[in-house]
Amino acid sequence: MLTAETIIQSLASGLLMGLLYGLIAVGLALIFGLMDVVNFAHGEFLMIAMYATFFLFAFFAIDPLLSAPLVAATLFVFGAVVYLLIVRFAVRAKANAGMVQIFSTFGLAIVMRGLAQYFFTPDYRSINTSWLGGKTISIGGIFLPEPQLVGALVSIAAFAGLYFFIHRTDFGRALEATREDAGAVALVGIDKNRVFALGWGLGAALVGLAGAIMAIFFYIYPDVGASFALIAYVTVALGGFGSVFGAFAGGIIVGLVEATTALILPPSLKSVGIYAVYLLVVFIRPRGLFGSM
Amino acid sequence: MTITRRNVLLGATAAAALAPIAARAQTKEVVIGVIYPLSGSSAQIGVDAQKAFETAADIINKNHDFKLPLAQGEGLPGLGGAKIRLVFADHQADPQKGRAEAERLITQEKVCAIIGTYQSAVAVTVSQICERYQIPFLSADNSSPSLHRRGLKYYFRAAPHDEMFSKAMFDFFDAVKKKGAKIETLSLFHEDTIFGTDSANAQTMFAKERGYKIVADIKYRANSPSLSAEVQQLKAANADVLMPSSYTTDGILLVKTMAELGYKPNAIVAQDAGFSEKALYDAVGDKLEGVISRGSFSLDLAEKRPMVGLINDMYRQRSGKDFNDYSSRQFMGLIVMADAINRAKSTDGEKIREALVATDMPGNATIMPWKRVKFDEMGQNNDADPVLLQYLGGKFVTIFPLDVAVSEAVWPMK
Repeated sequence: MLTAETIIQSLASGLLMGLLYGLIAVGLALIFGLMDVVNFAHGEFLMIAMYATFFLFAFFAIDPLLSAPLVAATLFVFGAVVYLLIVRFAVRAKANAGMVQIFSTFGLAIVMRGLAQYFFTPDYRSINTSWLGGKTISIGGIFLPEPQLVGALVSIAAFAGLYFFIHRTDFGRALEATREDAGAVALVGIDKNRVFALGWGLGAALVGLAGAIMAIFFYIYPDVGASFALIAYVTVALGGFGSVFGAFAGGIIVGLVEATTALILPPSLKSVGIYAVYLLVVFIRPRGLFGSM
Repeated sequence: MTITRRNVLLGATAAAALAPIAARAQTKEVVIGVIYPLSGSSAQIGVDAQKAFETAADIINKNHDFKLPLAQGEGLPGLGGAKIRLVFADHQADPQKGRAEAERLITQEKVCAIIGTYQSAVAVTVSQICERYQIPFLSADNSSPSLHRRGLKYYFRAAPHDEMFSKAMFDFFDAVKKKGAKIETLSLFHEDTIFGTDSANAQTMFAKERGYKIVADIKYRANSPSLSAEVQQLKAANADVLMPSSYTTDGILLVKTMAELGYKPNAIVAQDAGFSEKALYDAVGDKLEGVISRGSFSLDLAEKRPMVGLINDMYRQRSGKDFNDYSSRQFMGLIVMADAINRAKSTDGEKIREALVATDMPGNATIMPWKRVKFDEMGQNNDADPVLLQYLGGKFVTIFPLDVAVSEAVWPMK
């Protein structure tokens, strides 16, 4: 049953999904690179973005493609606020700082899920009639769903933008400098809290963008972030902690490995392929493919 | 020992203090544990279930004019009019949490019976705990056939299991084939917990027995972020019938992915679960005209048995939804359990178990199309006849078995 067509279709689907995985994960990588904090509420950021897209569609009939920048902006503010109100204090812990960071963002995740269930109810929502929803392009028997296709393009554009931003703007340089040595930047007059808050905002905005695209083709409910967050963590670990480009490459690898594993093994084992590859990477290059130490 | 005035005074005070407890013990309430996923990925099911159980408790506790056991009069007459009180517990679809919550319900909340659980995987652990504490457990809506075959004395299930459901599907295939349609090949698509596995095993068994060829047997991980690889294999196999056993989330994603990858199955015959949930049809109903799902309930029945419609109205007032295959079984679960407790005239686990064993409830005293409720030695009711429903024009109509069908099946689906 392994024809050329099934293989190409699998790789194409895997690539499209992988680019989205990369976009979901990059915010996590960015925040980690900046201040060595793993955001355990990352999946819940995605969930909030999906709900925001859904409600903008349900109440104001704004198509997800149009609301994507709006959702990203909302998430930017949300991310910055989370830093200023929670993470800023968590990193001040004198003892067991790592644990305090883990539990503060983990706690945030549980609270966000609970509030979502309380206010939005646990019903499964989905956006049924968007511009791209359900549309698909067929090229020689290979099907490319338009939402994922646009998602992949958005992902590539976002990574390109991010690359430019980090390497060519003052704020990007401040971000890099703060990440190298937060103490030293204070001496040259850069407010590290401001940089961190903007970093959190940027990371959240990127996952917001991913959430808006995902809302076109995925169901939405309070726990939706969980399975994507797991993939985001392994993507970041695979690509290299803190490396933005690593998240991009990691996402593509995860997408492709997932798709090809399902070709060879029973599909219920497809995540096994991802983790097998990750273990291999740990063995050869423990800091991740593009991680720097 | 001499009795002083002080002793008498103390004794009187103690007696006075205890009096209200004794009085309460007289008009006591019957506490039943209800264990469902109230948060997590299937919270929606649990929240709807809560409404179904509350509707049943309302009918038992207040006076209603239905031909349903315990509807007339208030409370349980066998226990001096005691009222049912439900204690809900949340298992989050996790068998280990289910185990812990069942233990808490029994030891701390002092429930005399437990009903649950939606996911069959959780019913496994909950029923084991109940067995250990000798508390009757009733599977309201679990459908894995292996559940009642574990030699548990305190396990009961009034509703059909997946072998009965699957048998109905194959009976239906045979009937459709007789009319000249081509059904030779089947694709199974099932999730990887006990529900999906048991369902696929039953379907494989019947397929072999009746000479259908399974061209794809796809087991997938529940709540997958993507099902494109799985759908692609289904598409390549292109069987005459696609038979999914999926919960709501995966069901939605399956249908969306099929559309995206240009796969239009000839017919879908689903093992219920997600395919009887309103959420799934809200999301992708436009792509599902003509889908067939097994069920143990159909609102059609209201035409023959008006109380079904009236009770459905009571449920809709609470939940905003009509009874579906799950909420109807949950509702009946409490009625069957309360009926047994009433006949046991006791909240003792062993006495309730004996009463459950003696249950013989005629089908027309239920809201289901069942012949009757009577448990075999393994606690399974074999007289619960399943039905097949087809989604036509935005609602479900009964198409099989032919004697209760209200409409002829549309085959293949549109």
